[in-house]
Amino acid sequence: MSAIVPYIRRDFLRWGRGRVAVVSTLVMPAAWLIFVGLALPIRFTDNYLDFITPGILVMTMLSAGLAGGTLLMFDKILGFMNKFLALPAPRENILFGKILFASGRGILQATIILAIAILIGASVYSPLQYAVTYLILFLFGILVAAFATTVALYLDDHDSLSAFNTMITMPLFFTSSALMPYDVMPPWLRPIASVNPLSFAIDAVRAVDAGMMPSVQIAALGLLSAGVIGICIHVFRRTTV
Amino acid sequence: MIAIETHNLTRYYGALRAVDHLDLTIENEIFGLLGPNGSGKTTTVLMLTTLLRPSEGTASVCGYDVLAKGTEVRKHISYVPQDMAVDIKLTGRENVLFYADLYGVDNPKDRTDEALGTMELSDRADDLTKTYSGGMRRRLELAQALVHEPDVVFLDEPTLGLDVAARKKIWEHIRSLKKTGMTVFVTTHYMDEADRYCDRVGIISSGRITALGSPPALKARLMKDVVTISVEGECSSLQEPVIEGTEYLGCTGSDLSFTAENGREALPLLADALGRSGIRIRQMSLREPTLDDVFLQVVGQQEETPGFNEQKFRIMLRRRR
Repeated sequence: MSAIVPYIRRDFLRWGRGRVAVVSTLVMPAAWLIFVGLALPIRFTDNYLDFITPGILVMTMLSAGLAGGTLLMFDKILGFMNKFLALPAPRENILFGKILFASGRGILQATIILAIAILIGASVYSPLQYAVTYLILFLFGILVAAFATTVALYLDDHDSLSAFNTMITMPLFFTSSALMPYDVMPPWLRPIASVNPLSFAIDAVRAVDAGMMPSVQIAALGLLSAGVIGICIHVFRRTTV
Repeated sequence: MIAIETHNLTRYYGALRAVDHLDLTIENEIFGLLGPNGSGKTTTVLMLTTLLRPSEGTASVCGYDVLAKGTEVRKHISYVPQDMAVDIKLTGRENVLFYADLYGVDNPKDRTDEALGTMELSDRADDLTKTYSGGMRRRLELAQALVHEPDVVFLDEPTLGLDVAARKKIWEHIRSLKKTGMTVFVTTHYMDEADRYCDRVGIISSGRITALGSPPALKARLMKDVVTISVEGECSSLQEPVIEGTEYLGCTGSDLSFTAENGREALPLLADALGRSGIRIRQMSLREPTLDDVFLQVVGQQEETPGFNEQKFRIMLRRRR
């Protein structure tokens, strides 16, 4: 464990010193929150902001997790990876560090988005509800980051990775339950949305907001994350020596 | 003590034999692996640093097998690749402390100060690496490599892209590392640097060691003088000239090289002989042998790196990264 911390500290230091990057990643989810959450004329609920906030939080985690893959890709391209691989510490720490950093950074970004949401009129929930919400977001972040690092290990260059990220982000978001509940979706969208991992997380956060404990979704997210991490380690070992 | 030992070390990339049955024994010394781009230098280093699996043969570093005891090998070595990978948004000190933590050394802060001091970076240690020159970044990488006091340091093209003064400094530091008891394995394609600073060099071409020994010993394989003759046109199309008292070394571009026991006497003989075969001479020069001449003798004409091979390139990326 102690050998993972330096990797995470390095990434946080680098992130904190790139001021533009710190702000720019927040602009997109904040814009969704304000311009869609406050502006869209919706009939199925009288507080659309409360409805869309879980979706935006999960979207924030999605882009934060995918950025973890990009970071790993740059470590590969710029030669850091080879230096890390020549260290005596367990090599998988490189992955765990990246996945934890990406999820941790996502949690910080989600916190700011949550604060903005409350500021512009979203409901406030109990500390326990927020605790469970954070657990769900963190698990989802791990899932996405592990997936993204696996893809980054598999691909050879940054262009392919960013094309891949662009390709999946919007379709994943629009085919989830982020923007509308299942009963107002067109019938063809419902089955797609119900198997979309984004919906797992979003539905779970909404259940927490409604005062329920979404044990099934949390367990599903946990299992999925564990599975993807397993695949990630396998790919890592195969691509490096 | 034997620092590095390889036996029949071989690596294939598909059908290409990048490293071909290498037998090397390296003791406590500065060992230079010399060769043109694509000759197998980096592949050799990657196998010795446990970053690449050998296709055949064995290698051990500090007595540990690179395949069976990878973690032990990595505890005793440092590896500085060509890429100059330092975090430009971190200070010099943070860059080194990061490695001290990763290695899990005792007193990481003290070791960091020490390593930065050794590399003469103490006064700039708290500046962002962004502001460092190329030579300073390279020394910062050396400081990172020293922080856990390794027994063997692998440096892949440590002076690539640096100016003359920075190169000299890097080499002086490499020498001082050796004085503290470290073994240094360095790859380079700068023959003059290897000549001056390495205890022993191996010349590698197409994955095979073609000459091995100390630079003076290798140069002694040639005769006392080297005569270089610039001719009109490309010399590669010419027939190998046979002239008594001299030995033909090879040609690069439009320069023919010969080695002779007495260069002053050989000059007119060579001029006559070449003139008779209708070759127009532009310039002749006489000098002492260098490692370049040894290289020319054992490898032949330095060919340009073979054309881009997409298949090989992809496989290399896969394996390396």
